[in-house]
Amino acid sequence: MKLAVAVQRYGADINGGAELHARYIAERLARHAEVEVVTTCARDYVTWRNERPEGVDQVNGIPVRRFPVTHERDPNHFGRQSRRVFDQPHSIADEIAWLESEGPASPAMIDYLERSASKLDFILLFSYRYYHAWHGARRVPAKALLVPTAERDPAIGLGIFGATFRSVRAVMYNSHEERAMIQAATRNEEVPGVVVGIGSEIPARTDGERFRRKHNVRKPFAIYVGRIDENKGCKELFDFFLRYANTFPRGLDLVLIGSAIMPIPQHPRIHHLGFLPDEDKFDAIAASDLLIMPSYFESLSMVALEAWALGRPVLANGRCDVLKGQCIRSAAGLYYERYEEFAETLYALESNGPLHARLGRNGRDYFTQHYTWPVIERKYLDMFDQLKREDASGARRPVESLGGWLARRQRHQRPAAEVLTTIPSNAVVPGSGAAENLSRSA
Amino acid sequence: MTDFSIRSDNVDVEQIMRQIRARIREKRGVDYTEEEIRELANVKLEKFLDPRGVRSDLLEQFRRKREASLPPNFKFEDTTLFETHRGLLAFIRRLLRPVLKLFFNPNPLIDALHIQSKLNAQQAALEPLYYEVIHNLVLETTRLGIDVKNLKMRVESMSSRLDFDERRARALEGVVQYRPGAVPPLQPPSGGGDSRAPESPEQSERRNRRRRRRGRRRPEERTGGRSGQGAQGAQGALGAGGTPMSEGGEAEPIGEQSDDRDDRGLPPVHRDTDGEPSES
Repeated sequence: MKLAVAVQRYGADINGGAELHARYIAERLARHAEVEVVTTCARDYVTWRNERPEGVDQVNGIPVRRFPVTHERDPNHFGRQSRRVFDQPHSIADEIAWLESEGPASPAMIDYLERSASKLDFILLFSYRYYHAWHGARRVPAKALLVPTAERDPAIGLGIFGATFRSVRAVMYNSHEERAMIQAATRNEEVPGVVVGIGSEIPARTDGERFRRKHNVRKPFAIYVGRIDENKGCKELFDFFLRYANTFPRGLDLVLIGSAIMPIPQHPRIHHLGFLPDEDKFDAIAASDLLIMPSYFESLSMVALEAWALGRPVLANGRCDVLKGQCIRSAAGLYYERYEEFAETLYALESNGPLHARLGRNGRDYFTQHYTWPVIERKYLDMFDQLKREDASGARRPVESLGGWLARRQRHQRPAAEVLTTIPSNAVVPGSGAAENLSRSA
Repeated sequence: MTDFSIRSDNVDVEQIMRQIRARIREKRGVDYTEEEIRELANVKLEKFLDPRGVRSDLLEQFRRKREASLPPNFKFEDTTLFETHRGLLAFIRRLLRPVLKLFFNPNPLIDALHIQSKLNAQQAALEPLYYEVIHNLVLETTRLGIDVKNLKMRVESMSSRLDFDERRARALEGVVQYRPGAVPPLQPPSGGGDSRAPESPEQSERRNRRRRRRGRRRPEERTGGRSGQGAQGAQGALGAGGTPMSEGGEAEPIGEQSDDRDDRGLPPVHRDTDGEPSES
């Protein structure tokens, strides 16, 4: 079997969510198929500047074919285009112009995918919102599987993506909430889809005591791992934790791992250790009492999965549907939406040993059942088999037309932000109406 | 703080969260969500706020006034003056632009209007911030109003409990006073139980009931009733609800001092034959 993985950036040094996701999947599927990665020469996701050489490269034994980006992103122009399509009535042409300004525009990459499609069994397109995924899905729909990595942002309300989601062969979702959101936005229920997510390389042995010695952390602590950023909910986390620390002078400390792009409050119970290598990170999680995930928007939190894999409960922001849904489905974490809930849930996890132990055990089970690599690989391979059977039957979905020159310029598209407000948001919980396909997809 | 007992292998996170929210509600008295507070701020403001301080329709008035007075803004670029959707006209204008510039220089005008347009946009951008500030102020004031109301209720509740405790304390103080002719002074036990007078079946049953209620005492407590211990026992028993109180919670009037005092100078209490305080 021959596969291509198309993604906006690729490299061992790129740690962005979707890019890392693509690399892990490519490396894992390479055990079962011949995999080639098709990507751009860009390294920076803000400018898409061509920084890597064009041509074929090898990353961890996987061939990587890079194509140049035709123009860098102009932030001002992109901002204007975004305001137009997100906040105002607009046309299909405006949306295509927005996509072009977002980038990374690489027509050569799309041409290559089209040329080599006949030699490939399937093409995995990562990140629905970028140029390569949209054009790739339209040019080679018969081979395209989409890994959307969608978050709840206005882009999902753009009309051009509806046709993409309805015309690809299959969609590999990260979570049940992502699937519910995409299906509500694009009505693509007929397209085969499966909730896969991503596995994680959990070390066989972790040593919490080693972490405590190395970083001189003696007291019990809760941990946050990730970029320390207001957009990740860290400001709220600090506010809540400082109030909690005042209420419970002998409670848990808070250890932060990751680079900070916002000021961290100076407090004897908050310890920022900066960016740590993987070994230290896993030791830290193993040494912690629990992981706190304060983020409002996540399509899938790898660090939460890692905490569960190590038997640590998670305290998540309940306003993030995905995290809340995972906490409920796994029965391995609690969630909060305001300070009172934060204090109560943190105290419960801190003080109630049986609850902590049970949640931790559930987390480990949940990870083993859904997110170990053999499970992830099997879901991909099963989907490939299913699509091959469909190939044999000759069934095909035509690519939807976007209309003629004039139709594309009619300002009939609603503002994407307005569309987003009409898309229901909630955690997908077993037993609720939104979860009717839960067991089938799991 | 919440205490959960995990009895089975199945943990229902939603159930735990429901318990946590119930606990928060219990502690706060009233548990309002952000939406509820917003609704209260919009609809029931006058219930919580002094109408002379903050008007309940402040937000609505601000919104109406803003919408009514919002002037249209135009983006003004260097090409705006010459824009047209007719292709031919645009071409002619572009052709004649150099001729126009022979008559006057439109650039200062374009620059000034461009700046004005930006200022208008800035002003328009500030307006929502003002609105947000006022909106948040009204919300916070409402929240404070609710808190004050809750605190008032708690103060009232605590004050009534304090009042009750004071009356109870006064009643207990009155219990240890002597009431003439109520019962003979407590006699020290003679060692065995045979000295008791024969009792009727009702008396026996009542004593057993009382003993069951209080639990069995140690022999030395039951029989060795030193007068001081007896008095303490009386306080304890009456504290449990048997205080003889007159209306209004006041203790009965103190009678004359009797000579029937124990060796510590404390007055005697009513006692059953087995040495327990009686329910008179």
